[in-house]
Amino acid sequence: MKFGAEEQSGKTTTSGQTKVGMALIALIAAAAFGLVTLPALAQDDTSATSTSTDSAGDPSVLRIGWAQDPQTLNPFVALDEENYNVWSLNWDLLTNFSTEDLSPVPGIAKSWEVSDDRKTVTFKLDPEKVWSDGEPVTSADVKFSLETLGGEGDIFSGYTDEITSIKTPDDETVVITTKRPDARIVGGIFVYIIPEHIYGDVPIKDLTGSYQPDLPLVGSGPYMVTEFDRGRIVQLEQNPEWNGPEPGFGEVQYIKYGNQDAVERALRLGEVDMVVEVDPSTFQRISEDPNIETLSSPSPSYTELAFNICPDDLCPDAERNTAIQDTAVRQAIAYAVDRERVNAISSRGTSTPGAGILPSFYTAFFETPEQNYEFDPEMAKQILDEAGWQDNGEGEARTQDGEELSFDLAVRSESPSNIQAAKVVAEQAADVGIIFNVDVISVDKLTEMTVRFQNGKPAPDFDTFIWGWGGDPYDPSFLLSLLTTDEIGSLSDGFYSNPEYDKLYDEQRGVFDTAERKALIQQMVALVQEDMGYLILTEDANLQAYRTDRIQGVEPACPSDGGDLICEQVSYEPLLAISPADGSSSSSGSDDGGGAGIVVAIIAAIAILGGGAMFLRSRSGRRKDDEPLEFEE
Amino acid sequence: MSGAVVLGAPEPAPVEPGELTARSRLLGTWRGRFSLSVLGFFIFLAIFGNLIAPDDPTASSLDILAKPSWAHPLGTTEQGSDVFSQLLVGARVSIVVGFAAALISSILGTTVGLAGGYYGGWTDRILDAVENWFLVIPALPLMIVLARLLDPSLTVLIAVIGLTSWAGTGRIVRAQVFTLRERAFVERARALGAKDRYIIRTHILPNTLPLIFANTVIIVAVSILAEASLAFLGLGDPTKISWGSMLENAFSSGAPSAGAWWYVIPPGLCIALLVFAVSLIGYLFEDVVNPRLRDEDPAF
Amino acid sequence: MTSRWLAAKTGAAVLTLVFVLIFNFFLFRVMGDPTTQLARLPNSSPEEIAKLRADYGIDKPITGQFADYIGDTLTLDLGISQRSRETVWDEIKSALPWTLLLVGTGTALATLIGAWMGVMAASRRGTKTDDGLLGFSLFTYASPEYWIGIILILIFAVAIPILPAGQQVDPGIEFSSFFAEALNVAEHMILPVAAMTLMLLGQYFLIMRSSMVDVMTEDFITVKRAIGLPRERVINRHAVPNALLPLVTLAAIQFGAVVGGAITIETIFSWPGLGQLTFDAINTKDFPVLQGTFLVFSIGVILANLLADILYFFLDPRVQAR
Repeated sequence: MKFGAEEQSGKTTTSGQTKVGMALIALIAAAAFGLVTLPALAQDDTSATSTSTDSAGDPSVLRIGWAQDPQTLNPFVALDEENYNVWSLNWDLLTNFSTEDLSPVPGIAKSWEVSDDRKTVTFKLDPEKVWSDGEPVTSADVKFSLETLGGEGDIFSGYTDEITSIKTPDDETVVITTKRPDARIVGGIFVYIIPEHIYGDVPIKDLTGSYQPDLPLVGSGPYMVTEFDRGRIVQLEQNPEWNGPEPGFGEVQYIKYGNQDAVERALRLGEVDMVVEVDPSTFQRISEDPNIETLSSPSPSYTELAFNICPDDLCPDAERNTAIQDTAVRQAIAYAVDRERVNAISSRGTSTPGAGILPSFYTAFFETPEQNYEFDPEMAKQILDEAGWQDNGEGEARTQDGEELSFDLAVRSESPSNIQAAKVVAEQAADVGIIFNVDVISVDKLTEMTVRFQNGKPAPDFDTFIWGWGGDPYDPSFLLSLLTTDEIGSLSDGFYSNPEYDKLYDEQRGVFDTAERKALIQQMVALVQEDMGYLILTEDANLQAYRTDRIQGVEPACPSDGGDLICEQVSYEPLLAISPADGSSSSSGSDDGGGAGIVVAIIAAIAILGGGAMFLRSRSGRRKDDEPLEFEE
Repeated sequence: MSGAVVLGAPEPAPVEPGELTARSRLLGTWRGRFSLSVLGFFIFLAIFGNLIAPDDPTASSLDILAKPSWAHPLGTTEQGSDVFSQLLVGARVSIVVGFAAALISSILGTTVGLAGGYYGGWTDRILDAVENWFLVIPALPLMIVLARLLDPSLTVLIAVIGLTSWAGTGRIVRAQVFTLRERAFVERARALGAKDRYIIRTHILPNTLPLIFANTVIIVAVSILAEASLAFLGLGDPTKISWGSMLENAFSSGAPSAGAWWYVIPPGLCIALLVFAVSLIGYLFEDVVNPRLRDEDPAF
Repeated sequence: MTSRWLAAKTGAAVLTLVFVLIFNFFLFRVMGDPTTQLARLPNSSPEEIAKLRADYGIDKPITGQFADYIGDTLTLDLGISQRSRETVWDEIKSALPWTLLLVGTGTALATLIGAWMGVMAASRRGTKTDDGLLGFSLFTYASPEYWIGIILILIFAVAIPILPAGQQVDPGIEFSSFFAEALNVAEHMILPVAAMTLMLLGQYFLIMRSSMVDVMTEDFITVKRAIGLPRERVINRHAVPNALLPLVTLAAIQFGAVVGGAITIETIFSWPGLGQLTFDAINTKDFPVLQGTFLVFSIGVILANLLADILYFFLDPRVQAR
């Protein structure tokens, strides 16, 4: 009986051994299969048409690292900010931006003329402009782009709202007529001009659906996308038809690293030459590297403290502590908060303290407002005293007729910097008797609270929150529009409403003269400052870093005074001016099978030996250290 | 109720040699003593951590990613906060989530396992299908989806982890109940007309408890890891400092590349130590409860 | 007999799969309206949002949506990614091989090394080696895998920068040969695979060790030794192969845990697999993609479990005999 069992098991042993071995081998084979099939599969998706033989060390390639990449290049459906980095090299606008002060300069249009009633603008196109596939750029392309992309593109709509007709009397002339004067027509239409002979043939349903443009991405800019491998790389090569200044780099690669840590490491190791979005907390540390230069430049975006001040007639069902509707309270908050400190803490001093609703980035229109609420807690207390808010002692909320100066301050959990800002605000406001309860919530919940509707009317459900907005490179209309009454129920999230402001907004829109428009905009800024409808805490900066041993000829641009490295997302001109640093070559250890290749080999060898040895040993059954057993054979 | 008196006495439930041996296992071996003291230490931190923390763990300063110094024994974070203080305070989330989630998980698992194993038939088949399904659905992705759906808070984390990790316990309890149900003392109680609830309470449950307990301890470890993973993926409670969220902040602000080891190593080490200790306690228990293991593997 | 058993197992797996499909549908319906994210987008109007809702078919009644969903899923139409506008199936197809490569290599290495360590420990039960291996594997088991990954980055990519720690291959390079590219991929694999291996190692070790201990006490081993076969030989030739059984099935069963590890490890190392796809989808609320990867993960685990049953069936005659 016992022997029987033993025999049985003995058989199992042999067959089990081979089977288990087979199973393991199958597992390894599966992994190997993955390895083998990968390049083939990768080839399928990339639709790579690149014929380049450049390798990592080629100095004529500019490699830019970023954490996130665009998800699609189709301009009709793209939603990512990163798209602009790519498109701005590939395409022109009707009028491009001056690298000095961002004012309109020739793009697709060589010159333009505004009619006396300011409702018609006639553009003469540049006959030298040619698409990268050799086709001429014509007025039909402009009409198609403004009508179709401007009308249907998710992130391009809104710019062409005022246009009533686009006429094309000949190939080189475009006549745009608007309902009423609209200064945005020159310099403010952020809609790329794309080739009609490519996109015009695709049904609009596909364009706004799953259409993916063919590569190379036909354009009129100095570079064109030749490879787009989502999650890895966007590669741009020089446009063969480009007849502007010769670029210093023949090729530009945007390389995705997936997270901030990896991008910054890649810069330090020289795997990339430049990084376009550095984290404020490591900005300082990165610049300590002798070969890395950092650059902080203003951007048209800000972080604001918004108040729920929707007028009762527009938002009858708004939920809030109504004390926030008292202008004196908001003014006191503005005086109580030290925006310098908010900047120092929340963005490590890389931003600039806010000064009214127009970011200083808009140099053509900016002026520091007269009433700028410089940090003054005593003033805050005085205002509150005068408004009848009773002081209940240090750190206690002031009260009046049963109302209490205690507000919820909502802030997005995904933004550590906003959370820090909220803490500073709460800390400082408490000193004057205004209590903020910081409430860290998800972005969805915050959106829900601000866009809530009840009985067909907006019914925002919050007291205050901190969030941010970003504007267009030259025309400030978008940021200014956020405080108009028209936007209540749409984009307005502070629910500011002031008929005088609305009137000024409409007026400035139609003024083409910069000085005149600036005066109007200044009045608007002053109005909001007086009502304290929106407290701009900081104006946020573009933080970039590049390797000085790889790039030379850097001249800050956009604006030329304190601007950024390559006029990111706005103009391609500065990128043409930079070139590979003298004597630069590959500094990354990424050559085919270099030193690390040996490491691979060693590890692979160990793994194979280790695995193999196990089986070999079981077969050979060495007797070296056999233990003597009870029964000798 | 007269039956109960008769039933209570005659056959004492075969006492698993749990309690006594468990104590000796835990206190008598250095492994047991080590694990218990590590766990005790972290529980102490969970209760008193914010009292002994030298600094306000959320206070930011301009001293960012500073190396360890006398003022900051473990350096500072990307916001200039004291890493050491955050570490002390962070213990609470791990301990609370770990234990609370495991409690929910074991109550759920026990209930389902008992019901299925005892009643059998269709009840069992349905419950078994549900269990099966929870067993195969990959836990972390499910937790991620649920946590993304609900607004993250400590309660949500506990609920999500508890609700997704009970199936294993259910399985084990069910198997144990199956064997107990056929035992003579249960059969006899049933023959004498005892109610199901009574049988479960006096005969089945007491004999399953040690097993449930051992399993729960292991789920504590799993829950602690799960909370840390969710926090690392940005799905933790944004208002609380936890070791997972510390790692997330460190990673997303580029601390590893900046070489800030003082910020990166301690939180992970704390998680590892705590999970290590709890798992070891769990294994020691299981070892005691499950005699098969004990007889054959003296190493534990 | 065999076919009947197989049919029953397969049937159970299919049933679970149906459950998963239903659950998947409702879970993502509850997750809310995917168009809310556009509310904050400049220039989006209510009409556009309504249009988008129609595009995604979420303006239909729930039963219609469910029918659509089942039909589409069965034809591998998993919808279109909200962000990239590529079909979800395409996205999954390009990410899947990378995940298989990472997970396959990690699992294979963990199995081999774990088994080897298990045999070492079991045959030296109670010694310092045993203690050390036990402590080491329990500690790696207790450590969060992403933390291990970060430590590896800290050591091999920051302190001594000798290994790449991002992506799967150097971007923007035309490789001279397939071999050169494979070598480059292998180089990029080292750290993520090491993290994956360390994460899984502990489990395999513990199972192998206790399995060995089990086998060593079985009658036939005792008899083998009794008839005078040398100890080494008995261990290698007879004990190890039998003890390997539970290990092979564990490899399949552990797939669920591996999937979790893939998400965090791929995130850290920017590895372009399903894990990173999932992580990105979470952050951008790309529901069709999230739903797709979740489905693939679930199917993977169900298949892995089925495979475990089948493997066990064929490898262990004791089951066959039953």
